[in-house]
Amino acid sequence: MDAAANAEKIAVSGFRHFFDTEDGPVQATGVVDLKIRAGEFVTLVGPSGCGKTTLLKAMAGFIRPTEGTIHCDGKLVTKPGRERGVVFQELAILPWRTVRRNIGHGLEIAGVPKVEREEKVTRLIDLIGLGGFEDRYPHELSGGMRQRVAVARTWAADPDVILMDEPFAAVDAMTRLTLQEELGRLCVATRKTVFFITHSVDEAVFLGDRVLVMTRRPGTIKAEIDIPRRAAGGRDWESFTTDVEMQGIAERVLKLVRAERGLTPAEEARAAAGAGA
Amino acid sequence: MSVQAAPIATTSTARRALGRLAWTLVPAAPFVIVTLIWIMATGILNPSKETLPPVTDVLASIKELALSGQLATNVVASLYRLLLGSILGIVTGLIGGVIVGLNRKLAESLNPVVVFFNAISGIVWLPLMITWLGIGNALAVFLIWNTVFFIVFQNAALGVQLVPEVYEQGVRALGGGRWQTMRSVILPGALPYILTGIRTGLGFGWRALIAAELVGAATGLGTMIFDAAEYHRSDIIVAGCLIIGVIAIVMDRWLLLPIERRTVRRWGLVADTEKE
Repeated sequence: MDAAANAEKIAVSGFRHFFDTEDGPVQATGVVDLKIRAGEFVTLVGPSGCGKTTLLKAMAGFIRPTEGTIHCDGKLVTKPGRERGVVFQELAILPWRTVRRNIGHGLEIAGVPKVEREEKVTRLIDLIGLGGFEDRYPHELSGGMRQRVAVARTWAADPDVILMDEPFAAVDAMTRLTLQEELGRLCVATRKTVFFITHSVDEAVFLGDRVLVMTRRPGTIKAEIDIPRRAAGGRDWESFTTDVEMQGIAERVLKLVRAERGLTPAEEARAAAGAGA
Repeated sequence: MSVQAAPIATTSTARRALGRLAWTLVPAAPFVIVTLIWIMATGILNPSKETLPPVTDVLASIKELALSGQLATNVVASLYRLLLGSILGIVTGLIGGVIVGLNRKLAESLNPVVVFFNAISGIVWLPLMITWLGIGNALAVFLIWNTVFFIVFQNAALGVQLVPEVYEQGVRALGGGRWQTMRSVILPGALPYILTGIRTGLGFGWRALIAAELVGAATGLGTMIFDAAEYHRSDIIVAGCLIIGVIAIVMDRWLLLPIERRTVRRWGLVADTEKE
C-alpha cells in the first residue's frame, strides 16, 4: 500500500451531538472518535435511533456538531462540499431531471463543459446498466434503477469521500443483492473512500473493509472488526455465503449488534436472514 | 391461441380508442345538458325575454355585437386589464411567496398582515379605490392584482415549504450554492403549487375584473353587461357571461394546461390522467 492510500481521510474526534427540542436538548449520540483512511470502505452498523444518521449528516456538513470536530483531509468540516458526496436513505435525485441530467448535475454545478460532461455521464450510465433510459424521468424508473441513478449521480461528481446512509433500504431484497455487488465492484474500480451506514449485519460485513458497531442511543462505537481483504472482484453473494471465515465474522458482528437491543424473535430471524431481507 | 389473440387485441384496441374518445367528450356534457334545459325551459315555460332570453336571441345578440365591433372593443379592453393585473399579481406573488416560503420566521411574522389584507380583498376596496384611483384601467388592474397576488403568494409559499429537504441537501452535497438550489430544487419543486396558484388566481382575477368594470370603467365586458342591465337586455347579459366563460376555458386549456402537461405532469409530480 502506498503512502497516499494510508493517509487519513476523515477524522472525527470527540464528536457528540444534541438536538434542540421543545423539552430541551436530547442527546443524539455519545462521544464518537473515528478515523477513516483514504480508499477504505468503512461500514457502520447499529440499532435504529442510535445516531448513525446524525453522525453521517455531521460528516456531510449538514449539521454542526454540538461537541468535537470533524476533519476531512485536515480541513475542518463546517458545510457541505463537493469533496464529500452523499447518497441518501430517501431518494434525493430530482424528479424534474432526466436520468442524464440527474447524473450530470454535479458536473454541471462544477462548470464542466457540456461535451466532457456528456461523455462522462454516458460512461456512467453504461456502467450502471441504464443505457436506453437516459432521457427518462425518475418516476418512469423502477426503485432499483432510481437508486442506481442516485449512486451514479454522487460518483459522477467525483468526490474523494462518499457517505452513504442506508442507500438500499427501500429496494426489494433481490435488487438489493445486485446493487450491493455492483457497489462493491464500483468501489474496487474507483478506489473511493466510503463511509456506509446500515442496520443489516450481512450488508456491513459484505461491503466493508472494516465494520464499526454502534451502541444503542446515545450511540458510541463499541467495536470495530477488520474484514480480511478479498481478491479483487471477489465481492459476490455466492462466495460470501459459502465463505466460512466471512460467515464467522458476520456471526460475531450479529452478536455484538444483538447485545444492543432486546430483539424480538421475528426481528432476530430477519437479521439472521441477511441483507435485511 | 395466437391465431385468436390477434382479433381480440384489435377489438380491445378499438374499444379503448372509443373509450378515450368518449372521455374527451365528457367535459362537454354539462354544457350540452344545461343548454338543453335552457331550450326546454324557454319553450315550455315561455318566460318573458327579460327573465330568461331564448338561446336564439342570445346567439343573435352575440352576432350583432361581433359585427358592430363592440364585442372586440370590450374583449380587448377586458383582456388588457386582466392580463396586466394578473401578470403583476403573479410576478409579485411569486417573488413574495418564494421569499416567505424560504424563511419560516418571516412567514410567521408576516402571517397576520396577510390574513388581514386577504380578508379585505375584492370589491370591499372598490368605494375607497374609486376616490384614490378614479374610474378606469388603474382601478381594475389594482383589484385584479389584489386578488391574484394573495392566491399566488400563498400557493407559492406553501409549495416552497413543501419541497423535501433531502433534494436541497442532495444538491448542496454536489457543491451547489444558494442560487443552484433555488434554480434546480426550490422553483421546480414548488411548481405544482405555483401553477395551481396561477390557475386559481386567473379564475378569481376574472371575477375581480368584472366587479371592477361593473362600477369603474367605460368599456369592457363588465361594463357591457351592466349597461345591458339598465336597458333590460338580458340577452346581452347572458351573451356576456358566455363570452367570459369561453375565454376563461380557452386560456386554461391552451395556455395553462400545456405548461402543466409539459412540466409537473411530465415529471410525475401530479397524477397524469391521460397516461396509458
